[in-house]
Amino acid sequence: MNLLARFRSWLKWIANRQKLESEMETEVRFHLESYAADLVRKGLSQQEAMRQARIEFGGIETHKDDVRASVGIRWWGELGSDLHYGVRLLRKNPGFTAVAILTLALGVGANTAIFSIVNAVLLRPLPFRDADRLVRIYFNEPGAGLRAVRFSKPELDDLQTRAGVFEDVTPIFEGSENLTGTKQPERVEGVNGSFSYFSMLGVIPQIGRLFGPQDFAPGFAPEAVISDGLWRRGYGADPNVVGRTIRIDGDPLTIIGVLPRGFRHPGPTVSGDADVFGAAGLSGDPFPPPMRGTRILINGIGRLKPGLTLAQAQARLTAMAAELRHDFPTDYPPQAQWTIEIQPLQETLVGNVRPMLLVLLGAVTLIVFIVSLNIANLLLARASGRQQEMAVRLALGASRGRMVRQMLTESMLLSLIGGAAGIATAVGTLGFILRLVPANVPRLNEVRIDWVVLAFALLISLLTGLVFGLAPALHSAKVALSSAIREGGRGSGYSTATGRLRDVLIVSELAFAVILMVGAGLLLRTMRDLLQENPGFSPTQVVTANTWLGVPNDPKMDPYLGIPGKATFDRELLRRMKAIPGVELAAITSSLPTTNSNPNAVDGVAIEGFAIQDRPAESSQDLRAERIRISPDYFKVLQATLLRGRSFTEGDEDGKQPVAIIDESTARKYWPTRDPLGRQVRFGTDPTKPWTTVVGIIKDIKSDGLDIDGVPHIFVSTYQDPSKEVSVVLRTSLPAALLEPQIRHEIQSIDPGLPVFNVSSMNHILDQSLASRRFSADLVGGFAGLAVLLAAIGIYGLLAYMVSQRSREISIRMALGAGRDVVLKLFLQKGIVLAGLGIVAGMVVSASTASLMGSLLYGVRPHDPAVFVIVPALLFAVAVLASYLPARRATKVDPMIALREA
Amino acid sequence: MGKQIDLLQGTLDMLILKAVSLGPLHGYGVLLRIQQISGEQLEIQQGSLYPALYRLEHQGWIASEWGESDNNRKAKFYSLTAAGRRQLHSETEKWNRMASLIASILRTTSEQV
Repeated sequence: MNLLARFRSWLKWIANRQKLESEMETEVRFHLESYAADLVRKGLSQQEAMRQARIEFGGIETHKDDVRASVGIRWWGELGSDLHYGVRLLRKNPGFTAVAILTLALGVGANTAIFSIVNAVLLRPLPFRDADRLVRIYFNEPGAGLRAVRFSKPELDDLQTRAGVFEDVTPIFEGSENLTGTKQPERVEGVNGSFSYFSMLGVIPQIGRLFGPQDFAPGFAPEAVISDGLWRRGYGADPNVVGRTIRIDGDPLTIIGVLPRGFRHPGPTVSGDADVFGAAGLSGDPFPPPMRGTRILINGIGRLKPGLTLAQAQARLTAMAAELRHDFPTDYPPQAQWTIEIQPLQETLVGNVRPMLLVLLGAVTLIVFIVSLNIANLLLARASGRQQEMAVRLALGASRGRMVRQMLTESMLLSLIGGAAGIATAVGTLGFILRLVPANVPRLNEVRIDWVVLAFALLISLLTGLVFGLAPALHSAKVALSSAIREGGRGSGYSTATGRLRDVLIVSELAFAVILMVGAGLLLRTMRDLLQENPGFSPTQVVTANTWLGVPNDPKMDPYLGIPGKATFDRELLRRMKAIPGVELAAITSSLPTTNSNPNAVDGVAIEGFAIQDRPAESSQDLRAERIRISPDYFKVLQATLLRGRSFTEGDEDGKQPVAIIDESTARKYWPTRDPLGRQVRFGTDPTKPWTTVVGIIKDIKSDGLDIDGVPHIFVSTYQDPSKEVSVVLRTSLPAALLEPQIRHEIQSIDPGLPVFNVSSMNHILDQSLASRRFSADLVGGFAGLAVLLAAIGIYGLLAYMVSQRSREISIRMALGAGRDVVLKLFLQKGIVLAGLGIVAGMVVSASTASLMGSLLYGVRPHDPAVFVIVPALLFAVAVLASYLPARRATKVDPMIALREA
Repeated sequence: MGKQIDLLQGTLDMLILKAVSLGPLHGYGVLLRIQQISGEQLEIQQGSLYPALYRLEHQGWIASEWGESDNNRKAKFYSLTAAGRRQLHSETEKWNRMASLIASILRTTSEQV
């Protein structure tokens, strides 16, 4: 309470400073005059009385100052004058001020921008009610080395009713859908969930309503909810959209509601936000009867009951999985060790970009450190020049604490100006930076400069101010009175104490630069390796385009039903593509290399189980491969190498022996000792399906990404094993942009309801697949370059300063007969020792932290010898050069002139 | 802003509280009252009264108000607050204990040791 009274009084003083000061003046005058009047009454003259009163009162200004101190506002006034003085100093050295504020603006700006991304993507909870209770559910078979296997309707029901840990559970189907009936057929992202999908997430529609129990249908519900984006794009934000019919994959659906702006489906989507949301009961057509072994569901999301920790829920699910394995031994072969795993939903969404973002944040933090060390060095040089001023102030009675405070105020002023400039930089460039960030980083639309980001920027600014302000401040407080005044008088400033401090700053700066350079080196080497990686095919002069045939809920609506229907389409498509002038060859694939176009893929790979005929069924070997459907000329278009056997022909069609071509990875994995040609495989578990014969082996193609190795692939003929996912690959010397209208025209001449999307060159696709790596490599590389530059400037500045401070000493030495080489060595040695220490320290830290970057590297070990040799060598060379320039200047000192000037 | 509270400063604060506890006073009045009740025995540097007055007000032990002095001039009058009254009470007690303790120490003769 006393504290409160004091605070109130302090505030009163801050607010009414002038009035209270003048009142104090009046009060003192009253005192003096009253006393003088009493003295006059005792017989003194008016003048003598006033003089006497003043003497007995004591120093009026001192007492007033004590009054200010006793109400706790003296430091406030001092702060004002410190700031005033600081501003004057900054304005007196515009060069220094500009350099300091500019580098700070860059450092703090980059930090703020990267942090705003980290904040939105990693830190802020997902924009759902109690988002921390939302989990992704995985079904795993660790015994077979499988993660995220499919699950069945009875298993879903077990989660809902038997597990007792979920408030709600919904399966999720994500995928492409064809939206027709608007201007141009459009491929959209669709999501189908249960009828409680939206209530589980806690979403409120902006128009109409969302799915609820009253909408229940055994199959797919004939209704749809659309996104805000589609509502604006396709319906001009029509408020009466509810009740209108939307055609999705040929099915007419009634729109019942529009989602709020900013709603995003919390799951992986192929290329953007999901636009159409449906719901399904999973218990009627087109779904198969709900059998435990009929595993058709792909993804699941659940909301944990309140008060339950993740670990408790996981323990219960693990126990339930064990019970189920025991109760249904035929559905859960013991060797597979089927089990259930949950992960926070946020983690599953952003987990894969976390390492990249954290490395970037680390890099910008190092840059800020280097920037502040550089400024510290500049300030320290200035502080040495100000020793005399400090000593005089000390002699006049300033306390050392008071002087530290003044120096700190000056550097805080600088850091806050730099911080404000940094925030302005971040705000100004955030839009630009976000365009550079690869699109596979989720939640980018949530990135903004909010209070958390501003607080972070302020914190960073204050920290940098403290880092670069503390050293000179403490240094100035240690000024030894007599010697400083004497030394100052003589104009030399490089005392040993300051010198050592500056050395430490330079060494740390170099060490930080090494860490950044090693990180950049590893990322750039990864990038270079990937670019030189042979993708197994020739991407030049290949243009690709995509369409999606759609899967109507009602099979009767499907114009491309079954194998014959699809093959007819494929042949017509190929005929029209080949007829486009300039197209040499055309082929079809269900999956373009490096695009990860399958939303149901785990880690980008859609892998399926299969059987091998002459292999025991109980084999614990994990029989999985990615199945890709292609037309005969696919390998010719891509110029992939057929190692043995034959390619597909037009004759590999329905009714003939099903055939397959495998890649080397598959051959090595499943037929390590035998010849795979002529062997037979079968996808899925349906024993009535015919066996497929392996007729060829090709060299590995990087189908899943340049940085993904060893996934086994089995190629099958699109005429025998159709897919609704159709990508065309064309060998042509024409650019994609030129071909696009013709491709669109030809495809829509077959079926005007087909969308045509992502027409681009294969080279562009390969490039895009590396966007994320390129982004981080370029950014960290740029930061490392900046770090080297700053470190070089630091060393150069230090030595140049030393040379100028010691020119008298040099002249004396030279006058006494020291050769120029001795002088050169003197300074070069200093630079080399500092550089050596910094580099060694940086290498030690790098070596112990490089493995943190492991997940961002490909083909390069975290302790890559080349990087760990080149980086120190390069930095050392730069450091030697930066030392040589000032050292050479030292040898040019003319002893006569230097001595005379001194 | 020296925080050290030497005896004199502590004493001055207590004397001021005592003086204004007898009725509202302006700064000069406080000086006169202390001199009067001490029988002119205490020598106080006049100016140092004010930092003490402002400190006591800052701590909420006395309150100030502008009013008219005996000779009809504008003057700032200080009066004791409730918190100040409690503070004066506890200070007085502390002082008395201390005084009697020191007195008894000083009375000690060689036989008593």
